[in-house]
Amino acid sequence: MIAITHVTRRFGRHVAVRDVSLSIAPGESVALWGPNGAGKTTLIRCVLGLIRCSGRIEVAGRSVRRRGKAARRLIGYVPQELGFYDELGVSEAIRYFARLKGLRAVRPAQVLESVGLAGHGAKRVRELSGGMKQRLALAIALLGDPPVLVLDEVTASLDAVGRGEFVRLLEGLSGAGRTLLFASHRIEEVSTLARRVAVLEKGRLSRVQTCADFADSLGRSTMLHLVMPVAVRARAVESLRAVGFPAQLNGVGIVVPVSQDRKAAPFRILADARVPIDDFEIVPVGKAEPGAAHHQGEAR
Amino acid sequence: MTSRPIHLVLAAGLALGAPAPAQEAEHAAPASAPRAAAPDPLRQGEINRLLREAPDGATVRVPAGIYREHLRIDRPVTLIAEGEVVIDGGGQGDIVEITAPDVTFRGFIVRNTGDNLDHENAGIRAVAPRARIEDNVLDDILFGIDLRESPDSIVRGNRIGGKKLDIARRGDGLRLWRSDRALVESNEMHDGRDSILWYSKGVTVRGNVGHNCRYGLHLMFSDDVTITDNEFAGNSVGIYLMYSTGVRISGNRLLRNRGPSGYGLGLKETDRFEVRDNLVVGNRAGVYIDGSPFTRAKPGLFEGNTFASNDVGIIFLPSARGNEIVGNNFVDNIDQVVVSGRGNLDANRFWRGDAGNFWSDYTGYDADGDGIGDFVHESSTLFENLMDRQPALRLFLFSPAQQAIEFVGRAVPAVRPEPRFVDEVPLMRPVPVRPEVGVDAGARLGLLASSGALLALSAGVFALAGVLPFSRRTDSSQGALS
Amino acid sequence: MTALPASMPAVASAALPRPPGVISSTLTVARRELRDALRSRWFLLYTIAFAALGLGVSFVSAAGTGGTGLSGFGRTTAGLINLILLVVPLMALSAGAASIASDRERGMLAYVLAQPVRTWEILLGKFVGLGASLLASITLGLGACALVLAWKGLRTQPASMLWLAGLALVLALGMLSVGLLISSLARRASVAVGTAIFVWLTLVFVSDLALMAGAVALRLRIEQLFALSLFNPMQVFKMWSLHAADASLDVLGPAALYAVEEHGSRLHALFGACLAAWVLLPLGLAGLCLSRRSPL
Repeated sequence: MIAITHVTRRFGRHVAVRDVSLSIAPGESVALWGPNGAGKTTLIRCVLGLIRCSGRIEVAGRSVRRRGKAARRLIGYVPQELGFYDELGVSEAIRYFARLKGLRAVRPAQVLESVGLAGHGAKRVRELSGGMKQRLALAIALLGDPPVLVLDEVTASLDAVGRGEFVRLLEGLSGAGRTLLFASHRIEEVSTLARRVAVLEKGRLSRVQTCADFADSLGRSTMLHLVMPVAVRARAVESLRAVGFPAQLNGVGIVVPVSQDRKAAPFRILADARVPIDDFEIVPVGKAEPGAAHHQGEAR
Repeated sequence: MTSRPIHLVLAAGLALGAPAPAQEAEHAAPASAPRAAAPDPLRQGEINRLLREAPDGATVRVPAGIYREHLRIDRPVTLIAEGEVVIDGGGQGDIVEITAPDVTFRGFIVRNTGDNLDHENAGIRAVAPRARIEDNVLDDILFGIDLRESPDSIVRGNRIGGKKLDIARRGDGLRLWRSDRALVESNEMHDGRDSILWYSKGVTVRGNVGHNCRYGLHLMFSDDVTITDNEFAGNSVGIYLMYSTGVRISGNRLLRNRGPSGYGLGLKETDRFEVRDNLVVGNRAGVYIDGSPFTRAKPGLFEGNTFASNDVGIIFLPSARGNEIVGNNFVDNIDQVVVSGRGNLDANRFWRGDAGNFWSDYTGYDADGDGIGDFVHESSTLFENLMDRQPALRLFLFSPAQQAIEFVGRAVPAVRPEPRFVDEVPLMRPVPVRPEVGVDAGARLGLLASSGALLALSAGVFALAGVLPFSRRTDSSQGALS
Repeated sequence: MTALPASMPAVASAALPRPPGVISSTLTVARRELRDALRSRWFLLYTIAFAALGLGVSFVSAAGTGGTGLSGFGRTTAGLINLILLVVPLMALSAGAASIASDRERGMLAYVLAQPVRTWEILLGKFVGLGASLLASITLGLGACALVLAWKGLRTQPASMLWLAGLALVLALGMLSVGLLISSLARRASVAVGTAIFVWLTLVFVSDLALMAGAVALRLRIEQLFALSLFNPMQVFKMWSLHAADASLDVLGPAALYAVEEHGSRLHALFGACLAAWVLLPLGLAGLCLSRRSPL
């Protein structure tokens, strides 16, 4: 679906992306992993045709340089943070971008409901919270049902709660045969959403792994699902984060990625913090792709 | 074309229902079959024949028809057209020549002279005194009515249209040569070269209309001429006086005369002239004064005129001195008064006693309410001064840069130029505009229409955007500086 | 497609959504720009200022005629030309300059360009939309002026108001193009607007004053002066207005007389070509800059 061939992008003497080749099959979900400055965002911008690069990028056979408009029609894009026209109304924004995609009969109320923003249509964009804005951006990206979704660190500007909600929203989407390319440096997102991980280091594609292998290599191969009362969840996430576990809120409790050999550590930490745990489940990362969402559903 | 009996004239006249007094039929000859009013397209020599048969002092009525001939009226007769009588010159030579005194020539259509400027082919030429040329229509003629030494003649109610030629190849629609005391009244001259008076004293030119000519009216060495209630519009020059004395110009409308050196009224070395109550609007220059008055003892007077919307109200050449300009309206001329070349107007007066002129650009006020501005009116802007010295800089007229310069001129007294002229007692209200102008309903309607069109366009854009004008759904703006 | 695994059926092109056409995209952007512009504080400010000053000029010139109603071209139209020269280019320049740069500043430009739309379409859409807003402002102001002139019974040629509005729009579009060019080059909206104001000052005052000084100091011939003045869109607008409305160009002295004699009936085409160049060239350059540069 997305074919990236020998792509290089320089900014002056600095090489942001160096000779990257990556092929993503239809329905596949690929994460771009790497620290800030590794070239994730630059590569995504190249895929969108926002910046020029050498090499070739095609989306469903359409070169983004020569047929950028047609290529982008196949892509729903969610940026890191939405710089919207502040004075634009939410429904108005949806109608505008629908028109840009050539869609005429769009019902903003329906679109908003699908991302949990029902009833916010009359507001102006700047009245929305950060999480709501991102969901609006997602709704816009999904207009016209594009076969490809491109996400650029979409949760970076969100707090823990917002992030959890957003990732859950995305989970529901990745199963529907949609091709997903997203940049992230959060293991929990990668492990929830991706089947393959492309690791970028200083602009170079250092390796492409399955999600499970990748999680193993990071020492985060297992997801620990902990069920606990609502009142204590935030405190639980906080105390786990304090010692380096990237815990995240979930529908019924919290999710903690852990390495195979440290599955008990979170329990100890939470016991110290006097957080009661009602139930738990251990889910290996990426073993049953594309079924992270599926697993999740069972865990509930 | 056998000889046609004269009584046909009468018969045709009766058939047309025109009045034909019995005594005028005295020279009618025996009849053959009367003919209805569908004459031969061309009759040659017939009017001349009529004339030969008419005694002195007779009234000859010419029946309707198209006559191809060159008419020579050498006896004092009255020649009257019955119905539509066309005398066609066939594009050759003159058409009507009046060589006897006391001839009246009335109601004809005279057309198609030759176009030979050297021979001055004319529609109607009179070379004898007391000709009366009335109610004729002259069309497609090189020269129109040409009076040569025809004093005490009357030219009245004629319509004179020249050949559609390049201006250099046209002739004069009306020319008077040594024809003193002639009366030129209620004629219309269009598409000719000039209407011109040469060496003709005491002529009255009244109620005529001239348009699309070169000079609406031109006086050369013609003294004591009265020019009243005429309208000269759209010519190169409205009225041009040269070397003439004692001319009175009043109640005329001089409108939109805009030739390359177009003036409403031009005065060259003219003495003892009075210009009163004229309406001078939209000309390139309202008045152009060159060496007038020529003799300082014989001043020129401008009073009660309205100079409006001309590029320049009055242009003075530096030689112009001794004019008195009082009680006029200067309204919205781009330049109200200009001295061509360098110099000022000290030798001309813009006020008399306690009354000056009305200036639409007067910036003072009238605190004591006596109708006279409390400050003198001076024309002295820095940019005008610059333009006087560097005429090419006129190109920058109406630009904000001009404003900037004038602002400097006002703010910095050191660079303020000498005033061109001073009106010490400017009027606060205009004097009555004469001749009167009604509201131009057409222009008003047109303006309303264009206003409507513009506003509708604006509303259309708002409607297109689905935005009511200035509906502020939000208090933020997209401007980066907000 | 070669990169796709054979097991994946190649996605049939027909089944994939197709982007809208050029005109549709352009109009979508234009409509958005127009709505935003009409609601913006800047538009409100400029429009009110323009209309108010125009009405002021109309009333003052009506009062100046002392009720004689005898205003032809005269100072009324001259005043309006002057006003248009001051306000309309400033409005157009700053509207153009603010638009792309502020989008870029807020990340909006990149976001919109990530949609199925071309750089050119965005630029053209902005041009059309902002141009329409300028049209609304100009026609509103001059329409109100014409209303006052009609009410006061001034004898201005009706068609001259239409000419004035039309030519003001062309001038505005030219300045909008320049504004968009500035905007596509600038990183920040504040810099773009500042540059726009500088350009405005240059075109309105500096270049004319410099040309005047040059004409005097270098003893420029009138044909040179006329040719140089054609480079300034303000001058071209002014000359064209005078030529088209009911006055004749000879008001502007020997240089203009030369122009009339030399070019005569070609003057409309000449002025039109000059202003068209001011519309098209900066817009083209802006398009090149935008597509060459990253939208970020």
